[in-house]
Amino acid sequence: MADDGTAAGGEDAALREALAAEHAAVWGYGVVGAALPPDARGPAVDGELAHRDLRDGLAALLEERDADPVPAEAGYELPFPVLSDVDAAALGAALEEGVSASWVALLGAAEQPAVRQLAVDALGAAEARAVGWRRAAGRTPVTAALPGLPDS
Amino acid sequence: MSTSLPDGSPAGFSRRRLLAGAAGLALLAAGCTAGDGGGAAAQTSAQDDRLAAQLPVQEAVVAAYDAAVAADPALGGEVAPLAEQARTQLERLRAAAPGAAASSSGSSSSGSSSSGASSSGASAPAPPAGGDVRGWLREQVAAAAAGHAAACVEATGARAALLGAVAAGLRGHEAALA
Repeated sequence: MADDGTAAGGEDAALREALAAEHAAVWGYGVVGAALPPDARGPAVDGELAHRDLRDGLAALLEERDADPVPAEAGYELPFPVLSDVDAAALGAALEEGVSASWVALLGAAEQPAVRQLAVDALGAAEARAVGWRRAAGRTPVTAALPGLPDS
Repeated sequence: MSTSLPDGSPAGFSRRRLLAGAAGLALLAAGCTAGDGGGAAAQTSAQDDRLAAQLPVQEAVVAAYDAAVAADPALGGEVAPLAEQARTQLERLRAAAPGAAASSSGSSSSGSSSSGASSSGASAPAPPAGGDVRGWLREQVAAAAAGHAAACVEATGARAALLGAVAAGLRGHEAALA
């Protein structure tokens, strides 16, 4: 829990972490969609599009700042096998929870109100999608009190 | 920032990033940054005020859940976990605004109207008689989420993170009540 101390440096680093998480989410949503029957892919398509937009927006913002936007990884590993539509929904929830953590971290590190606006909007949208996936995965409760916030 | 991972090698980790690992890293980053953002005492005081101003908004959410269940007991089973989460959110906000806790923690059954969760009325929550209780509850929650989000943008550091997380939690409630 060390105090970072740096100003824009901390914000840029957190923006890069958010971008890395969005890259992972875009990739992961491809897996979610592929594991769902065609007539149930709507939410996966919507989620993928939302994360592509966020990824592109973050990359453009970091580019503007000459702050070295991180590229997508060459490969990702699934946190668990995705063999059914329930698995797909669980992965959708995991992806949204992953990006939520990075958006909350950005809120904590952000210096500019515009960056916090971006982050809080993205965080709320991620949690709304997560609710749908948790419900589809049969998880209860379907909501979270403090999405993305570390315990303690 | 203490970036050392508790286990494993950072280099290998980043070359082949686990999806679950991405979340873990982000959590770690949040832990690193959640404590800063204070800085000048004057700024901190204003931030405390901004956070304290959201307490009545959240008290009204808690009251709205109670009022909704009272008006439509059939909702009770479904919204009980949501109501509990709303109370958790209130506790976290109170804990983060210690100076304000005593003065504004009046009865949760009568939300103060002093703070703007926007026009749909954080005050004296009461569902429309014979109306759409669920829809009314969703509106209360949505208005509070918007208010917390606006406060988040004006806050910094750990306060911004907490307000944003509460706002997002309520966005999730709104989705669940849709």
